[in-house]
Amino acid sequence: MSRAAPTGAWSRDRRSPGRSIALHLTLIAASIVSVFPVAWLVLTSLKPRTVIETASVAPIDHPTLANYTQVLGETRFLTWAANSVIVSLITAVLGVLLAATTGYAVSRFRFPGFRSVMWMLLITQMFPVAILIVPIYNLMAGLGLINQFPSLVIAYLTSTVPFCAWMMKGYFDTVPVTIDEAGRVDGLTPFGTFWRLILPLAKPGLAVAAFYSFLTAWAEVAYAKAFMTGDDKYTLAVGLDQFVGQHKAEWGLLTASSVLIAIPAAVVFLLVQRHLVTGLTAGATKA
Amino acid sequence: MRRVLTSAAVAAALALAVTACGSSSGGAGSAPAKSAVPAEVSGTVTWWDTSDATTEGPVFQEIIKGFESTYPKIKVNYVNVPFADARDKFKTAAQSGSGAPDVLRTDVGWVAEFASLGYLAPLDGTPALDKPEEFLPVPAASGKFNGKTYGVPQVTDTLGLLYNKELLKKAGYDEPPATMADLKKVALDVKSKTGAGGIALNVDAYFLLPFIYGEGGDFVDVQNKKITISSPQSVAGVKIVEDLITSGAAVKPALQDSYTNAETAFKDGKVAMIFNGPWSNADNLGGKVFKDNPDNFGVAPVPAGSVKAGSPLGGHDYTVYAGSQNLDASYLFVQYMASAESQAKIAGKLGLLPTRLPAYSAPEATANPKIAQWAKPMETAVERPWIPEAASLFQPLVEGYQKLAGGQTTTEPMLKDVATAYQGILKGWSL
Amino acid sequence: MTADVVATRRAAPRSGARRLLSRHWYAWAMTAPVVIVTLVLVGYPLVRGVYLSLTDATEATMGRTIGMNVIPSTYEFVGLQNYADIITSSEFLGRLAWTVVWTVACVALHVGIGLGLALLLNRPMRLRSFYRVLLVLPWAVPAFVSAFIWRYLLNGEFGVVNAMLRAAGFAGVAWLDDPFWAKVSVIACNVWLGVPFMMLAMLGGLQAIPRELYEAAEVDGATPWQRFRHITLPGLRPVSSTVVLLGTIWTFNQFPVIYLLTKGGPGGATEILVTYAYRQAFEGIRNYSGSAAWGMVILALLVVLAAVYRRALKQQGEAW
Repeated sequence: MSRAAPTGAWSRDRRSPGRSIALHLTLIAASIVSVFPVAWLVLTSLKPRTVIETASVAPIDHPTLANYTQVLGETRFLTWAANSVIVSLITAVLGVLLAATTGYAVSRFRFPGFRSVMWMLLITQMFPVAILIVPIYNLMAGLGLINQFPSLVIAYLTSTVPFCAWMMKGYFDTVPVTIDEAGRVDGLTPFGTFWRLILPLAKPGLAVAAFYSFLTAWAEVAYAKAFMTGDDKYTLAVGLDQFVGQHKAEWGLLTASSVLIAIPAAVVFLLVQRHLVTGLTAGATKA
Repeated sequence: MRRVLTSAAVAAALALAVTACGSSSGGAGSAPAKSAVPAEVSGTVTWWDTSDATTEGPVFQEIIKGFESTYPKIKVNYVNVPFADARDKFKTAAQSGSGAPDVLRTDVGWVAEFASLGYLAPLDGTPALDKPEEFLPVPAASGKFNGKTYGVPQVTDTLGLLYNKELLKKAGYDEPPATMADLKKVALDVKSKTGAGGIALNVDAYFLLPFIYGEGGDFVDVQNKKITISSPQSVAGVKIVEDLITSGAAVKPALQDSYTNAETAFKDGKVAMIFNGPWSNADNLGGKVFKDNPDNFGVAPVPAGSVKAGSPLGGHDYTVYAGSQNLDASYLFVQYMASAESQAKIAGKLGLLPTRLPAYSAPEATANPKIAQWAKPMETAVERPWIPEAASLFQPLVEGYQKLAGGQTTTEPMLKDVATAYQGILKGWSL
Repeated sequence: MTADVVATRRAAPRSGARRLLSRHWYAWAMTAPVVIVTLVLVGYPLVRGVYLSLTDATEATMGRTIGMNVIPSTYEFVGLQNYADIITSSEFLGRLAWTVVWTVACVALHVGIGLGLALLLNRPMRLRSFYRVLLVLPWAVPAFVSAFIWRYLLNGEFGVVNAMLRAAGFAGVAWLDDPFWAKVSVIACNVWLGVPFMMLAMLGGLQAIPRELYEAAEVDGATPWQRFRHITLPGLRPVSSTVVLLGTIWTFNQFPVIYLLTKGGPGGATEILVTYAYRQAFEGIRNYSGSAAWGMVILALLVVLAAVYRRALKQQGEAW
């Protein structure tokens, strides 16, 4: 939606109709592959349980909203959704703030410890989460944070902030340094420059960082399963597991709630998507 | 039915040399012993229930209401924890000393492991272990470790042979197969005469056990600290499975979602027989070929091998977390939940098999036809090795079974690999 | 780099630490929250992991007191034994080889398909933003939901993929049951998940390449391939160098897709190092020392990879 006039180059010359058709066909094929699994999930969620658990593969079969009414009415889905929203939003806001300051520092300043910080941001992303769960659980237990949202937010920040800081560095690299200098000439502190001049210019980058942080928190399972010990504190990803019993799965409830989980993520995506491309440029332009 | 159960219990009791239980009286379960002290106990009991949240959970919550009105000073915090997550979640919480529940519904296969790690409170001599002589001995043994009792049996189950009566009749059989040899014959006849498949296999180590037990094999011999998964008996058992697959008596098993695929084939009438437990009753009776014709659904004990008919004992125990701040309240909670009365209620409403003998004859329980239906298969229940490492023994065998079912290996080398893996798990055990 | 202007700004020479502090305090202050939190949450497990990996600690031998049960610590220092066990185990090389195949295949397909789609989308046409929304959809679906959808689609008996194959007159494929196809399936699922991110990153990179370069090349009579080879690819390097490195790290450690789609099966065929390490850590009596050693091995492999990669970039003039 964003750029009506693409900056992308040689394509201003007219395409032949044949090439145009080929282009659209390729994109349509790719779009089908991209959308089909999700579409099938939606279709399945509209089938009654008895149909889902047979070998029938008709796209539409006895359509019903029963799965949705059951998920929304008879389970604690709404509580879990609210929990997920709270955790994801806090993670996104804090993540963006922390990532932006760190990203700005490593973009603008060459300070002692700069390389260590860059390596730290990278290495943090290399840790297999499975190995971290027990030690972090024990830390949180020591802090008395088990079954509290802050434990999840902190755990999520360890995985979102390094990537977002890395990305924001790339983004700040594209903001001309002359702006910083102008700020300083006007008597602003480095913080003032960052807050009043640079951040407003970095909105697309912030949008991506927020989107990424929100989605990561929204979809995380492992920490949430370990840390949240009361079902009033479950997030959606954990609550969903309740529909899988020891010996059987409630496919109807699972598919319906999967759709309901994917919708907010998709909405957030639509809100920020106009910024995504510019935000992900990650240091591509030389100002 | 009562006779059947008593004989089963006695037989198992003899085998185990545990106090036999034949003497208990039939009437409605006796009320929990109430003294002045229990009524004064107060606190909050957090219970992690691992049962099916949508179907079973509500019944347990109903019983909790009864507990709370009997002991008004105790509050119960009911949390449904999905079965698949419960073990990891409990262990992570238990070792840290924070976040663990007071009472956990524990799979019979987990008790020894948790107990060996010091996570569980011994229950001998506490109110939690009320009238232990009433318990069926095989399920009761699952709660014991190193001579102490850590688990109070909640429900029990085992595998049986489920069959589609119409398909078997079409193939010329009025009765389900009673031996493994017959199983193959019936399956092949069903295949040739009805066009449906003979038997659907669930490629999971647990579901191999009836074949292995039938020939006198097992994973391990606990008493002699011996790994027996590659013994001639176990090999003979798994060979039956290999033969069922290669001969076409079994339909080609799916390896991923194996359970669901086998169940779907059975429910849709695409296959005549399956091994499964009482938990699948409701699921099966909702299927295409049983929904309007529940009489078509048959339950029988697993077929006997050359030695015996044997199927693994499953079920759940109540355990109390050693670090609980509310031990006294937790003991009373377990006592109430595991009482014959509560068990009869659960049996009646959910068809889950009680672990106390008197509960079987309670009118509430006998009202549910499932209880009688599964009485005979329960007679074949075999105690599993209750050792801390038990839960680790399944994965190597699942991988091996998958390779066998996928045709990438044969029984002997597969079981040999599994035995080698077991040597890494059970340090110091002989082959 | 523009930052050098600031970095090389002269400060009046003062003495030692004071000078450093007055000159860099805001940089340190800005990075401090992240550094401190990371050091606590990742540094502590790291140090503890290194220590545990040199012992034989397990859930059973680690001392603790739980209510009435007091368990003494009985684990011992065993040196590099755990590492020796891993490297000499029959599993290690096989798992490593498949992990490398999995990572290379996934990242190559992510980058290849992502770049291809980005090139297609980076030109004026009707419905452009509509296509973009559809193509990015997989990113908006949480990974555990996606893995769950794919398992349902690929089910051998009642999955819709096989149903379509059969309707078209082919035999069904044992997508998740055959070792080879299971590998294909997990890669396909992960590619589906990961392409949108790459596509958007590449699109951003493409849009940042100055248009004048293409115009000049056209004037010089360069073919489309030459323009792609000599303008597009070098122009993308700032973006691609980062996303390829991060993509490699993420794929190497991609736990949910494999665990949720095949659980590492059939017969361990799709088990990568992290899923294997996870099973080592959590199955049965938890092996704290062994899993710590596995974690260190995985971390070491990735650090070496990152170092080699950064060095290669540096030789081409990339900063830091």
